[in-house]
Parts: sequence; C-alpha cells; structure tokens
Amino acid sequence: MIELVTNYLRDLIRWVVTGWNRFWFTPEDPATLSVIRILAGGMLFYTHLVWSRGLEDFFSATSWISPEAALEMHGDNYPISYFWLINSPAGLWAVHIVALAAMLCLTLGLFTRPAAIVSWIAAISYVNRVPLAQFGLDQLNTMLCLYLIVGPSGACYSLDRWREKRNAQQKGWAIPPVRPSVSANIAIRLMQFHMCVIYFAAGLGKAQGESWWSGTAMWWALGNLEYQSMDLTWIAAWPLLTSLLTHATVFWELTFPVFVWNPKLRPLVIGMAIPVHLGIAFFMGMITFGLVMLFGCMSFVSPKLVRMVLDRAPAEQGRAGGEAPSRQTAQTRPISRRPAPVARATKRS
Amino acid sequence: MSTVKQPNSNESDAAPAMPPGRTWSLRARMIASALLLFQVCAVLYGPLSMPPTITTDALRPVFRPYNGATYQGNSYKFFSPDPGPSHLIRYELVNDKGEKTTGTFPDRKEEWPRLFYHRHFMLTEHLNQAMAPPAPDDPPPPADWTAIKTPPEQLRLAQSYANHLMHKYNATSATLWLVRHSIPTPDQAIKGMKLTDPTLYRERRLGSFALNQ
Repeated sequence: MIELVTNYLRDLIRWVVTGWNRFWFTPEDPATLSVIRILAGGMLFYTHLVWSRGLEDFFSATSWISPEAALEMHGDNYPISYFWLINSPAGLWAVHIVALAAMLCLTLGLFTRPAAIVSWIAAISYVNRVPLAQFGLDQLNTMLCLYLIVGPSGACYSLDRWREKRNAQQKGWAIPPVRPSVSANIAIRLMQFHMCVIYFAAGLGKAQGESWWSGTAMWWALGNLEYQSMDLTWIAAWPLLTSLLTHATVFWELTFPVFVWNPKLRPLVIGMAIPVHLGIAFFMGMITFGLVMLFGCMSFVSPKLVRMVLDRAPAEQGRAGGEAPSRQTAQTRPISRRPAPVARATKRS
Repeated sequence: MSTVKQPNSNESDAAPAMPPGRTWSLRARMIASALLLFQVCAVLYGPLSMPPTITTDALRPVFRPYNGATYQGNSYKFFSPDPGPSHLIRYELVNDKGEKTTGTFPDRKEEWPRLFYHRHFMLTEHLNQAMAPPAPDDPPPPADWTAIKTPPEQLRLAQSYANHLMHKYNATSATLWLVRHSIPTPDQAIKGMKLTDPTLYRERRLGSFALNQ
C-alpha cells in the first residue's frame, strides 16, 4: 500500500514538473506577441494621448484628486508614480510627451524593450496618481504592457526587425531568422493566465449579485443612460432575451478558464469574446475597454494563425523562407528523430 | 543556453531554413519558475483579497507591496455584484463678487472624446463607493438615500473636487450634491418612461466648501 502511494506521488510530481516545463519553457514563435504589442501599444498611446485634454485638471497640485487625497486613497499601498515629484505644468507636459513618445515607439516596435519598460513605468505612474479616474481599461493596459517587457515583442512586425534586415542586407549577410523564444512563450502564457483570472473573478463577482441570478442584470446595464451610447430601451420588452444574455455572460465568464484550454472549444470561447466585448464597446460607450479585452484574448490565438493571416504563410508551415518558425519541442521531451516542428500544427493548450 | 536539436534536413519535409529555438538551462528554468510562481500567486491574490479573508490577510505582507507597486491588486469585478444606478455631481460655485457658476459632471457635451468623459464619470462613481464598510454594531443606514449622512471618506474627496472647481473657476466657495440617476424597471420602460424622467433623479448634499479648506 505504501509503495502504491509512493509510486503515485512520484508519478504525480513527474507529471507536474513535465507539464510545468512544457507550459512555460517551450520556445514559441513571437508572432502573436508582436501583434499584441502593436494593439496594446496603440491602446496605451491613445489612452494617454486622451489625458492631454486634461493633464493639469487631473495631475497638477490643484487637480480633481489632490496628491494628498490620492495618497490617502492608496492607504498602505505602495503607489509608485513620478507625478508625486512634479509640480509645474511644464514638468507635467515634459514627462507626458516622453511617455507618449515611448508608447509610440512601443507600438511601432522601435527600441522595443526599452520603450516597453518606459511605457510601463509611465502607465503605472498615471494610474497611481489618479486612482479614482481608473477603470478596467487601465488594469488591462498595465497588465499587457508588463508582459510585453518579458518577451521579445519587437521580434516581428516592427521597425526593429526592419532595421535588423536592412543592416544585414547592407553588410551582405544573410537575414537572421526570427527564432522561437522561451521568453515569448512566458509572456504569452502570463497573459493567458491573467485573462483567465480576470474572467473567472468577473464571473464570481456577478454570481454574488441578485440580478445576475434573476436574469435582469443585462437590462440594468444596458438601461444605464450614463453608460449607453445607443438607445437599447427596446430590450425591456424582450425579457427572455435579456435573461439569456445575462446567464450566458456569467456562464461564459465562469467557464472561460476551463474551456479555453480545450483546442476544440477555444475558437468558440474566444469567438464569444468578440460579440461580448464589441457589445460593451459600441452599446455601452466603452470602446477602449471592449477593445483592450479583445487584445488580451489575442494571446490565445496561435502564432501559426497570425502568420497565415499576416504573412499569408501556408497552413502547414510557419512561413516560407524560414522567416517564421513554429513551436519547438519542450526540453523536457525526448529529442529524437521527430518531424521538424515547423511542419506540425501549432497548438497552445 | 542550449538549442533544441533539429532533425537533419534530409530526414524532414519541413522548410530547410527552420531556425532552432533556444531552450533554457535547468538553473535558468528554476529561477524563472520561482519568479513565475510568485507572479501567478500575486495575480490570484488580487481578486481573492477583496473582501479580505483570514488567508489573504496573512499573505498581505507578501503580495500587497508588489501588487500595489505594479497595479495588479485588482478585483476585476466588472458590473458586480449588481449593475445599478449611476452617479453625477452637481455643483454651485460662488466667487468673491457673489456671482454663481453652476454645472454637473460628467457631461458628455463638455468632456470628449468618450474616454475623457469616462474619466470624469469614474470620479463620481468612485466617490459614491468611497465609504468604509459598516461595523457590525453600526445602525442600519436610513432607507431614504437622500437622508444618508455623508461619510468622512466621501467628504474628503468632495473637498478635493471642490478645491479643483474653485481654482478652475476662480471661486471662493462651492457646494456639491451627489446625484443618483436610477434606472426604470423594465415594466416602467415598456410603459414609456424615459431614462431621463425627472423622477429618476435624486440628490444628496455632500457639503459646502471654502477654498483650500
């Protein structure tokens, strides 16, 4: 009996270690990460460009939320922000322009990693200075930017890559291929995990509410004049539709972290994100929030599909010319005479 | 660092220029695993710690500083537990000549693009939510929302908002009201009640404030 338990525990530990290694440390094509860089970087740039409309109204000493009130709201948190040190309007505008320049560089993939670091420090500084003006958009912006630092998000579709190719051509060298990278995989995995936590927490939070159980929550959300950007009061006459939408939302959010890992269900789960978040974007006036949630869901799209769409690569191959590798075998797996990974379908599950 | 061994090109139908991916050494993977484990737990700690529990309170010294610094300690409870009425702030400012300026925020006509409006909307929504949870021996709040005494947390924020308005409009005093805009029930909406029906608006006085009080 003891031997049985010992064997089980040994197998379990081996299974966990192997799975952990495969999940986190398998080199991955950075194509998906690079697309997320363009989308999330663009959103960061726009979000902060909009602050230009009221930079002094929100960030000066006499702003809506005074520095003292903001620090009091944080309590015993550690709200890192360079805005605590800046008092003059000129200083505010100087750091604002630097932040926008860094975010633009991140979007374009120019000096990508330094730009991602500066963008993240800037984004954190903005959210910590005005905690009462934040919402889900800022949570997603800072999350995605943090993970863009982790991986080589400028490896593809970037000015860095263009410069790399041009330099090689000028020197008569072969164009260096884009390699699969462990850090690209880690960045994508962190995004995927974080998205699962976000959806599950959102679903659990709704499960505490009476209206999400009774099926009326969708009415209370869509009937809110301060949110809505399109008159949807007609939906009050369709209680069954309201109820179905309400329950489907909770079911989808709660099951997201389970079903999204199943290769057969993943297209459905991610496909459902599109109407949900575009609905939030266009009916409830939160275009930025709706889009940034979709950008987070992009982490579940395989690099192979990205290559097929953007590079017009053949379905069974990353990309002609060796530009785009597919996923490599994990180090923990036996390395033998297996078919080259480039010819295998990429699955991230 | 080592590279994943690729099959000989003669043995495979794959593209000949397939570059190998570098894998990490055991030491690098162990260090990265420790960091990843911490990050994963920190992400989970955010929603699990709201409201605080015995477990999350015990882990607070470990994750709170990191989550606070990286803005990761979020609960992600969008539109929960229940979507409800929205809140606006109405203000009346008086300058040293006795002239009055009135207004309400958020205001879609003044604040554009939509994201900028939403920033102002969050100011009023967060003010409404800013109050300490009631203690077990606290008396229940009055049923009439307009009769609720402004809690000190809301008062401090209202003072900050009032100071900003007074600086912006060169006023010396300000009075603020929190306006609750309720949503009609589906039955009321079917019977023709508009979302802007005056009976859906109620307001509660937040206070009167002098400049830099």
